[in-house]
Amino acid sequence: MGLNSIAITLVIILVALTVALSVFSRRFTRTTADFYLAGRKVGSFANASAISGDYLSAASFLGVAAAVYASGLDGVWYAAGFAGGFMVVVLFIASPLRRFGEYTVPDFAFGRFGTNRMRLVAVVGVLATSLFYMAPQMYGAGTTWKVLVGSGLFGLSAYNTGVIIVGAIIMIYVAVGGMKGTTLNQIIQFWWLAFAMILTLLVATFIGYTPKDADGNKVGELMRFDYAQYLEGESQGYLLGPASLTVAELKDPAVMEKVELAMTEAMRPTNNPEAGYTAEMKKINDAVASGEDADKVAVVAFQKNKLNELKDELLGGAVAKGQFFNQPGHRYDGFNQFSMVLALVLGTAGLPHILNRYYTNPSGAAARRSTFWVLVFIGVFYIVSPMVGLAGRSMVRAAAQAGTAPTSADYVGGLLVKSDALMPTLARIVGGEVLMGIVAAGAFAAMFSTLAGLLIASASAVGHDVYEKYIKPDATEGQKVFVGKAAVVFFALLAITIGLLIPAPIGAGGKSLVTAFPALIAMMVTWAFAVGAGAFVPMLLTGIWWKGTTERGAIAGMIVGGGGSVAIIVMNMMNALGVITQAEAPGWVWWLASLNFPTVFTFPAAVIAIILVSKIDGQLPKNVDEIWMRIHGNAHERWEKEHGLDKASGLFTSGSK
Amino acid sequence: MATPPSSEATITSTYIRHGDHVDTIESVDIVFREQRKLSFTYGFIFFAVTLAVPALTVWVEAWWKTTIWGGFTWNYLFISLLYYIFLWTMAWTYSKKADTLDLKLAKMADKITADVAATAATED
Repeated sequence: MGLNSIAITLVIILVALTVALSVFSRRFTRTTADFYLAGRKVGSFANASAISGDYLSAASFLGVAAAVYASGLDGVWYAAGFAGGFMVVVLFIASPLRRFGEYTVPDFAFGRFGTNRMRLVAVVGVLATSLFYMAPQMYGAGTTWKVLVGSGLFGLSAYNTGVIIVGAIIMIYVAVGGMKGTTLNQIIQFWWLAFAMILTLLVATFIGYTPKDADGNKVGELMRFDYAQYLEGESQGYLLGPASLTVAELKDPAVMEKVELAMTEAMRPTNNPEAGYTAEMKKINDAVASGEDADKVAVVAFQKNKLNELKDELLGGAVAKGQFFNQPGHRYDGFNQFSMVLALVLGTAGLPHILNRYYTNPSGAAARRSTFWVLVFIGVFYIVSPMVGLAGRSMVRAAAQAGTAPTSADYVGGLLVKSDALMPTLARIVGGEVLMGIVAAGAFAAMFSTLAGLLIASASAVGHDVYEKYIKPDATEGQKVFVGKAAVVFFALLAITIGLLIPAPIGAGGKSLVTAFPALIAMMVTWAFAVGAGAFVPMLLTGIWWKGTTERGAIAGMIVGGGGSVAIIVMNMMNALGVITQAEAPGWVWWLASLNFPTVFTFPAAVIAIILVSKIDGQLPKNVDEIWMRIHGNAHERWEKEHGLDKASGLFTSGSK
Repeated sequence: MATPPSSEATITSTYIRHGDHVDTIESVDIVFREQRKLSFTYGFIFFAVTLAVPALTVWVEAWWKTTIWGGFTWNYLFISLLYYIFLWTMAWTYSKKADTLDLKLAKMADKITADVAATAATED
């Protein structure tokens, strides 16, 4: 078989299984409760698997190990923040949301505050958050296709082919299978991607990797991953990373001296550092000699420590600026250490595609149990991912320096130029094409499961919250399900369009989002979290836990939190694209545009807005006590228990209301 | 397959009845206050611990600089392993306590229902 043929075969098997399950599920999808909520009878373990599949996107599967590989400790913090978000869900939201019943988050908003205006504001929030989250998944689809397949179909680029094919597959399987098919697929996809991640670690730990040259001769000792020992090894010198400098910059002897020093360090762990150094520097010198001044050349550079940089300024150079792998500061300065974790922790509780899944639990207690299992599943995944990232640091370097690393990725000084390629690259190095195939299918599984959840959430916002409530309230079940499917098709086409537009040059000097943000997938996911955290979490928390929240207060909070987040994110994009510049923009605009994580401001601002406006307004819904009993009472669940209706009934029944 | 019984819910501003099961606004309020105390106590601990990590990172050098096992610093060990144990423990104990509150509400509601039935029987 060819280079990537096993990977492609496994991806095709995954796709075939996905479509087959959706077709199979179709016979059990007759009502809207089946289509949007899988009949509300999904057991805790199955639901936890599906929620984990929904949650673990390409950003988690490819991005977390890559972030640790590139940044060390700050990358690990990224994983912990993702996991921590589910504590907010279990403590404050899971059980009351499920007890209130209904189908969607806009349903909750309508039921709690009692106006159509509130429901429509929530629909806008769902669509904004979902579209922000679809963008990185589609970008991930294109880039993963590019790495794995390397070529396009029908004259399209590899990137565009990946976006269109992944979008089309998900469109078909979600439209056909609804939430039942999606739930089944998300369960399988989660276990596949968890298996792929854990297997990569096990192979790196117990089988290991022996560096060999192109002729198959052993050029290094057997490497087996040992957590504490590898962490110690990687943390002994300053953290090195790839950098892109222009030929003009490299013609400066002072700059070249730093590059030579960094390359010496990069080659130190190898068997023959002098030969490696000479070969790598020759490539750089040749590129400088033959290139134009503006041409970019990949080099190795010592990484700066953003945390210590600030201290350095304050203490007058008393603190070293250098970055070590096991120390904080590569990605986040002091302020962003706080704002990043708040964005991730609060953002999880504001993702509509995750919250919708809570309605599929049979009861409030089951919703809590599901969340506990989600924490266990994704916790194990997030413990393993940083270990894989650390293992990759040494093993990819050894393979690259032996000249036998996969050619589908670019390297400089033994380091991956694009860290997002770490997972497939490491899998290929330690486990050959079979493991790479398993990992490739895992990457697609991660994209499929998350995109499917987003499509269901978007479709339910339009199909259920707008069509069924306002356009045709007397629609038959068949008409409602048809509109749900049509909405899935519409949003899948929209997601494909967004994916195709992401690399387009829209900024100053032809800059695109891809060139403006080095870790674009992670950045875009953080934006989606910020929108969800601003738009929904303050409304949900106050709506559930403070009876005095009024409709006007909730709307004010959603506009301040959600609208404020979107405005700051757009400004941040404009800043990175060179449209907003420090020299031309007013000081406050520049300051807002430089915020990577707006949640630290938008969340408290939204909570304050809700409290102030509610206090001034004072117009509580007339049936507020009834609402309170629906959210916090459990008579309905006791009645269901008495009649044996509280049990998870499996996914293969239909007709649930 | 037998048709499941339907829950003929009666909802008023003071109680919700599903079959023989009743929640009154008073009983729900009592349990709500306990639930709120439980959720916010756990929430406070969760945010205190979670935000303590960046706080220690910014202000306590020994937290991120002192190695304790191989290349592990306190900071690295906590974020990569111990934080998850903290989350699992919190989620498990919270769920168990919340289940207990659910039972408390059920017992309270059953007593209210029984009292109403007893009063009605006495009046008859």
